[in-house]
Amino acid sequence: MDTRIAIIGTGMTHFGELWGVSPRQLASDAVSQAVVDAGLTKKDIQGIFVANMLSGMLGLQGHLGALFAEELGIQVPAYTVEGACASGGLALHTAMMSIASGKYDTVLVLGVEKMTDHSPEEVSSALMGAGSNEERLAGATFPGLYALLAKSHMQKFGTTERHLASVAVKNHFHASLNPKAQFQKSIPIETILKSPLVADPLKLLDCSPVTDGAAAVILQRKKTSTSSHCVEICASQIATDTLGLANRSSLLELRATRYAAHAAYIEAGITPKEIDIVELHDCFTIAEILAIEDCGFTEKGEAGKMIEKGMFTLGSAKRTVVNSSGGLKACGHPVGATGVKQIVELADQLRGRCGKRQVKHAHIGMAHNVGGSGATAVVHIVKSV
Amino acid sequence: MISPVKIWRNQKDITKMLGKIGTVIAWTIIRVPPTGFMKQAPYPLALITFDDRTRIMVQIVDCDGSNLEIGTKVRLVVRKTIETTEDGIIPYGIKAKPINKLLS
Repeated sequence: MDTRIAIIGTGMTHFGELWGVSPRQLASDAVSQAVVDAGLTKKDIQGIFVANMLSGMLGLQGHLGALFAEELGIQVPAYTVEGACASGGLALHTAMMSIASGKYDTVLVLGVEKMTDHSPEEVSSALMGAGSNEERLAGATFPGLYALLAKSHMQKFGTTERHLASVAVKNHFHASLNPKAQFQKSIPIETILKSPLVADPLKLLDCSPVTDGAAAVILQRKKTSTSSHCVEICASQIATDTLGLANRSSLLELRATRYAAHAAYIEAGITPKEIDIVELHDCFTIAEILAIEDCGFTEKGEAGKMIEKGMFTLGSAKRTVVNSSGGLKACGHPVGATGVKQIVELADQLRGRCGKRQVKHAHIGMAHNVGGSGATAVVHIVKSV
Repeated sequence: MISPVKIWRNQKDITKMLGKIGTVIAWTIIRVPPTGFMKQAPYPLALITFDDRTRIMVQIVDCDGSNLEIGTKVRLVVRKTIETTEDGIIPYGIKAKPINKLLS
């Protein structure tokens, strides 16, 4: 890509059960932070790309571009990009294309999700909008779909429930250092292993929570004459696979992840070893194991053992840190906002703003955002220049 | 909202599937069900493959999961799927029954 695009401002709300906060307030909060961070005013925003999945299904509210443009008090082009839990990454890609096209210079990417207004079973049912009709009629849930992937991985590679639980331990430890995370405490592995089963073998604490939250980033075309330091997005790739698990070519990988990550490394001209920090889509513990393998950080089948040994954890020997924010598991997973929050975390890490969870000398970061059980995968690579 | 039109449109596929015998390639037990399946939980959810290499995702019935494993043979049957709502529509669809149970 010839156009250079910088992330000039970031913002995110606290993630959690925010019963008293409306979607409009969530958006306002995240955007205000991003605008201040960028040193701009709202009037400098030329377009708004909204990422959201459930507002129509649960809140009966569509047309979010117009809603948030109204809330922000600007009359600019605004519309929603949806791809289930990959909405955030897809909105970012769309925003980048809008700048690369030459039509816009400064745009806002806003991910928002309100999930706690409804009962868990209603939310579970609505989330299955990301799967196939056949899966819905079979009574599948997302924990169920990923449980099938977990069982297949365990059967083929000897991955254990303890390996799965190690992912949760790591991410809760990271989140304990993140003031905006939904969960702020480390959790011992025995507590995770003893939590109630949701879809065998996945237990409550193998699953990311239901969360409200918003995250925002402001992107700007970088003028070639500027030599100032900034964070640039140097790769943005998307791949799709079959909607439902039944038609996948393999249950041992998310092929869309492998394709998107591979294309992103080529676009950025780097290898996985050069990635200092990566935000992976850990909607369930097994999802992080698959992601580490499918993004090429380990050989297929090896990730569980390595996580249990402490690799990919903040403070471990020089190695890529996975999910310094706490990931979806511990920072929370407001579906449409997650992909944008991943970029917020990367940009903040690359600018040295992450306090207790700062990864030292972080120069290159990667974000991996998945829709459904792997039907969409979006990978971004950012670097400080 | 259950759509009777959508059910009617998809029913042609049900007749093609009935009676097919398949093998379990992966299964789990859904213990926390979505809306419409609350009374059925816990229930097994499985990926089934057939001789023609096609695969489907179904709920397994007449089975609590204790005898279920990769390789279990099942036959496709018609059962009610989503629980009836106030509009009174009863949706039927495909589920799978372990084969040895057909003898009892």
